[in-house]
Amino acid sequence: MSAAVSEAQQEANARRIAEDARDRVRFEEEVLELADQVYRVARRLVSTREEAEDLVQETYARAFRSWRSYTPGTNLRAWLFRILTNLNIDRGRREQRAPDTQPMEEGDYYLYNRLEETTGGAEDEERVVERLSQDAIVDALATLPHNYRDVVVLVDIGDFSYQDAAQILDIPIGTVMSRLHRGRRVLKQELAEAAVPEAS
Amino acid sequence: MDPCEKCEEVLQPFLDRELTESEYREAEAHLDDCSYCRKRYRFEASLRRYVRHAWIEGMSPELKAKLAALRTPL
Repeated sequence: MSAAVSEAQQEANARRIAEDARDRVRFEEEVLELADQVYRVARRLVSTREEAEDLVQETYARAFRSWRSYTPGTNLRAWLFRILTNLNIDRGRREQRAPDTQPMEEGDYYLYNRLEETTGGAEDEERVVERLSQDAIVDALATLPHNYRDVVVLVDIGDFSYQDAAQILDIPIGTVMSRLHRGRRVLKQELAEAAVPEAS
Repeated sequence: MDPCEKCEEVLQPFLDRELTESEYREAEAHLDDCSYCRKRYRFEASLRRYVRHAWIEGMSPELKAKLAALRTPL
């Protein structure tokens, strides 16, 4: 009798362990499929390739370790990128002061107007951005203060919604919007200066 | 030409696809009427795409292998 019970119990245990292993394998595969996206975002959050690679590895190590804290059916991307951004913050990066955004009469129109000036206004507005070099974009993103950069990178490179970005960074959605707005403004300012050095 | 205040207010969420249905229609109606905003919109949209696709080297195969190796052994 007792032998039969323990046999049934053992069977149940074995089944549970098998199910657990299957769930974990599926989880790990889904998380690994996101690796290219994770790397892209990490590469823009930190300055060097080496740092990005370290950050991605730490992210995956932690994700695999804490897989049970992921609730199946919820947003896996947001869950994973939250680990990434938290680790990036934990790496002891300094909180930077918000840059002094120069009061500009043109506000958000600065870059557009600058680029248009340099082309004599003849080029169409979809082509005018091509005057910016890829390096200028990369450099401008790298000089953004972290608070702004996190939001800009998550939304513009990671393609997250405001809501997801808010959840990932654990900040209110209004803060996401204001940081995004300011971050993009600083970005454009940097780009305008890179595009027209003599104008600064 | 003076920057258009309406454009300023809705441009970012419009481009981020974060407006509600009715806000979106309102913004589109505004874009139809305002050539300055239309130009600005096209510029911002292409800048957004340009930033998104700014070159990033692909992840190295070594890193991919390292990540896979972090999986729990069966």
